[in-house]
Amino acid sequence: MTIKNIFSSSDLKRTLLFTVVIGFFTLIVLQLFRMQILNQKFYDVKSAENSIKGLVQSPLRGAFLDRNLKVVVGNKPSYTVFITPSNYQRKYDTIIETVLGVDSGYIGKILNLNKKYSKFVPVRIKRDISFDMIAWIEENRDKLPGVNFQVEMEREYPDSIIASHMFGYIKEVSRRQLEEDAYYNMGDFIGNNGVEKTYEKYLRGTKGVKYVLVDSKRKEIGRYKNGELDINSIKGEDLVLTIDAGAQRVAEKAFIGKKGALVAIEPSTGEVLAFVSSPQYDLRHFTTVTPKEIWRQLNTDPDKPLFNRATLSIYPPGSTYKMLGAIAALEEGIITPESRIHCAGGYHFGRFFKCHGGSHGPIDVITSIEKSCNTFYYSLIMKMGLEVWSDYGRRFGFGQKTGLDITEERQGILPNTEWYNKRYGKNGWTKGFIVSLGIGQGELSVTPTQLAQYTALIANNGKSKKPHMVKGYLDSQTKKIVPFKFEDIDTKISQKTFDVVKEGMFKVIHGAGTARSAKLPNVTMAGKTGTSQNPHGKDHAWFVAFAPYENPKIAIAVLVENVGYGGTHAAPIARDVIKEYMKNFPEYNEQNIEKKKNLEGKIVRISNAN
Amino acid sequence: MLGSQTRISSSNEIKFDFVLFSAISLLVIIGLTAIYSSTLNHPTAGGNFAKQLFWVVGSFIIFFITFFLHSRTFHYLAIPAYLFSLVLLVAVMFMGKTVYGAKSWLDLGPVGFQPSEFAKIGTILLLASYLGREKTNLDNLGDKLVALAIGFVPVALILLEPDMGTSLVFLFIITVMLYWKGLSLFLIFFFISPLFSVLSFMFGYYVFGTVLIIILLVLISFKKGILISSFVFVMNVGAGFFFDFFYKALKPHQQKRIDSFLDPYADPLGAGYNAIQAKVAIGSGGFLGKGFLNGNQTQLQYIPEQWTDFIFCVIGEEFGFIGSVITISLFLIIFLRLLKLASSIRERNEFASMIVVGIFALLFVHFIINIGMTVGIMPVIGVPLPFVSYGGSSLLVNVFLMGIVVNIYRNKK
Repeated sequence: MTIKNIFSSSDLKRTLLFTVVIGFFTLIVLQLFRMQILNQKFYDVKSAENSIKGLVQSPLRGAFLDRNLKVVVGNKPSYTVFITPSNYQRKYDTIIETVLGVDSGYIGKILNLNKKYSKFVPVRIKRDISFDMIAWIEENRDKLPGVNFQVEMEREYPDSIIASHMFGYIKEVSRRQLEEDAYYNMGDFIGNNGVEKTYEKYLRGTKGVKYVLVDSKRKEIGRYKNGELDINSIKGEDLVLTIDAGAQRVAEKAFIGKKGALVAIEPSTGEVLAFVSSPQYDLRHFTTVTPKEIWRQLNTDPDKPLFNRATLSIYPPGSTYKMLGAIAALEEGIITPESRIHCAGGYHFGRFFKCHGGSHGPIDVITSIEKSCNTFYYSLIMKMGLEVWSDYGRRFGFGQKTGLDITEERQGILPNTEWYNKRYGKNGWTKGFIVSLGIGQGELSVTPTQLAQYTALIANNGKSKKPHMVKGYLDSQTKKIVPFKFEDIDTKISQKTFDVVKEGMFKVIHGAGTARSAKLPNVTMAGKTGTSQNPHGKDHAWFVAFAPYENPKIAIAVLVENVGYGGTHAAPIARDVIKEYMKNFPEYNEQNIEKKKNLEGKIVRISNAN
Repeated sequence: MLGSQTRISSSNEIKFDFVLFSAISLLVIIGLTAIYSSTLNHPTAGGNFAKQLFWVVGSFIIFFITFFLHSRTFHYLAIPAYLFSLVLLVAVMFMGKTVYGAKSWLDLGPVGFQPSEFAKIGTILLLASYLGREKTNLDNLGDKLVALAIGFVPVALILLEPDMGTSLVFLFIITVMLYWKGLSLFLIFFFISPLFSVLSFMFGYYVFGTVLIIILLVLISFKKGILISSFVFVMNVGAGFFFDFFYKALKPHQQKRIDSFLDPYADPLGAGYNAIQAKVAIGSGGFLGKGFLNGNQTQLQYIPEQWTDFIFCVIGEEFGFIGSVITISLFLIIFLRLLKLASSIRERNEFASMIVVGIFALLFVHFIINIGMTVGIMPVIGVPLPFVSYGGSSLLVNVFLMGIVVNIYRNKK
């Protein structure tokens, strides 16, 4: 009998199906027996592990200290209201909203946003609530099940300086940031701009974990293994900034009611001593979630306070760029310190390019800086050609980002042949286009930070480091500064050239120059005014300077928008900041005036001899 | 003799299969309990218990309506139900909603519904109707082809969705019904074995080789002669290699589609995770279980969408070995009762017998695949556990089918 016959007879068909059913039933019962009786312990351990919850412990964010180790950005405790949806009764929405001073419907909206999380997990309702509100919640604790508060840390600005564009602010992480970096959890803060953003990895610290046991309702029922496995959070690194709080304060005060920017740099190190973009905004609005009203106000303000003018605004540098022409011409041997060029009140190339203040007659390079003669520099750029001029600009960092350690920066425009070809087409422009570049006008556009770097490089004879705002961080054990490394800059230009150009800048202030008003009684200074032509309104005023002349400790660039002439509006600001900063150096106090006067006399004699 | 007289005298009484009804009702209650437990603390599925309760009430109303229908009704229903199924299956290809990678849902305003569920009714009825005809003889090639066509048209449409789990369910139903009618085991083997060859080929040469050896041994035991046996064997080898050749010629994204078709949970986090957590839930339940609403696996939502395909974990965890065995025993009662009914009416009403066997096959294959995957003796294929899992259309169809069974029971002589 074949298999077919056995299983095809009517009764046997039923028997076969019965057998299959009972076979599978037995198999499943055996497997259940194996899992639930024999291996129950094994699975129980696995399941218990699922009841251990790690609670993230947020670390304290690193603080900012200024160069004199004074805390300028710190942390302070603040209260946050939480609601645990499982215990909460929605009928209290209105009364809590009234006490918190928020719009009606606010609580419902937040609870809805968090609907996808377990209702046993507390939802953050509002940060930074006042002590009165805490007292109210405490008083009504029994009547408000599910409403709670917790202490969380927020940013604090203990010093009177604002420095909004340098410090930057923190913000709750976005959905995208959550996906990109596993470090962050919902509701964490992340540096959004400025130093807060660039040094986020140092500042944020290391999260800790506290292990607790939860029951099937996700309620905490105790510590896991008495906290043996817990990991403490580690505070973020405290950053030591390069700024001088004193100089910064003076700079900020000088800019009240003005639009513009100021960047001061220590020439030998590239360290930023003061950094202002005006108008500023109040970082205290950004310590928690920024109210919509504040955002609207900041975004619609015609003066654009959120815009970082020190690194993002680009304007022609005007006459402050004349030193560059002089350096290039001297270095390339196109002129010598003794060469004279005749100024008859302007320059002819295709059309007439005007000088100012009548004619300067035959003048040398030092006087050309002192008097800011345009004719001299029209003539120089035409002699050296666009490519040479552009090459020297590049050596001083123009047309490229300075690499300042905040991310928001523009590179400006440093035109060369290729740039003109691209802009106007190969035959669409003539040499006449470049004449006004010689005096820092035309398409040439720079940021205040670039101009400060250029001044620092001149002050330090062509060598420095990339500008930066952070020296390093304080080692939490040794309390010593662990320095960050910054790239060297070398313009590869001779000392001789710098000597000549710097003497011209000295005379701008101490000779018969354009910024005599900036003179300080006790500190020698060298500088240059500039005016950026503005087709839309009043010109922008520039001033660059460094001091002390013989041993530069600070180089500075000041931009004041829509005010006119640089000597009148920008130079006094630079003077005040330099004056304040020099207080850090006792050798430049009042008693040293004599010494300075002798030196001044000596230099005047040297230049007369030439 | 006395017994049969008693029956005749009481023929005015309505015969109602209380055993079957009780088993179904208990399973539905167990299901509602498990759905309540697994959705109570869930942030988004909180309303599922109430929805299911609504479907339960609706389903049982339909159950009793079906119970009282005239016994000929299902004859008349067979062809329209089948054709309507096909229309729905075609419609879903054009306007279906994609759920878990398969375009299997039709959205009808407030309720969504799976045409493949409805097609189970149509297919079982029409196949039973055709096979139940006295003149149908499966030794006749033409009859054989018609029977196969009735079964395979919906299978083909469901494969296009593509819904692997439901296709397997249909294949199983068709095979059991054909076997019940008298299709030889050899012929069933002839059709089914290439499927195993292709599947095993996907798992590599060792598995393929093992399956081929098993096929060879079975062929020898059939004693069909060297010629036919070698033909079937070569066909199996060919099927495996042909599929491989076909697979390799495809573009990567098409291969991926086939991969996910073979394993709907192809992504590693999904597959391994669910299977492991399901076993942990059941295993940790122990003999008596952790108690209603006390299973931490269930309450902490370690198994996603546990109220659907992984509902058995809730029972295993919270009601333990006792609860699990009671649940599967209720299924055992239903299966044995269906088989007993089918064979008792076979001589007099083959159509009804075929329907009952089809329904048996439907429930049994769901049961095996679902419980098998939860306890880890079967790969993860997403099918619901009849009467227990959350899901309106599945519950409705299953309870309606049971309504047909009690109707047949009522009308049996």
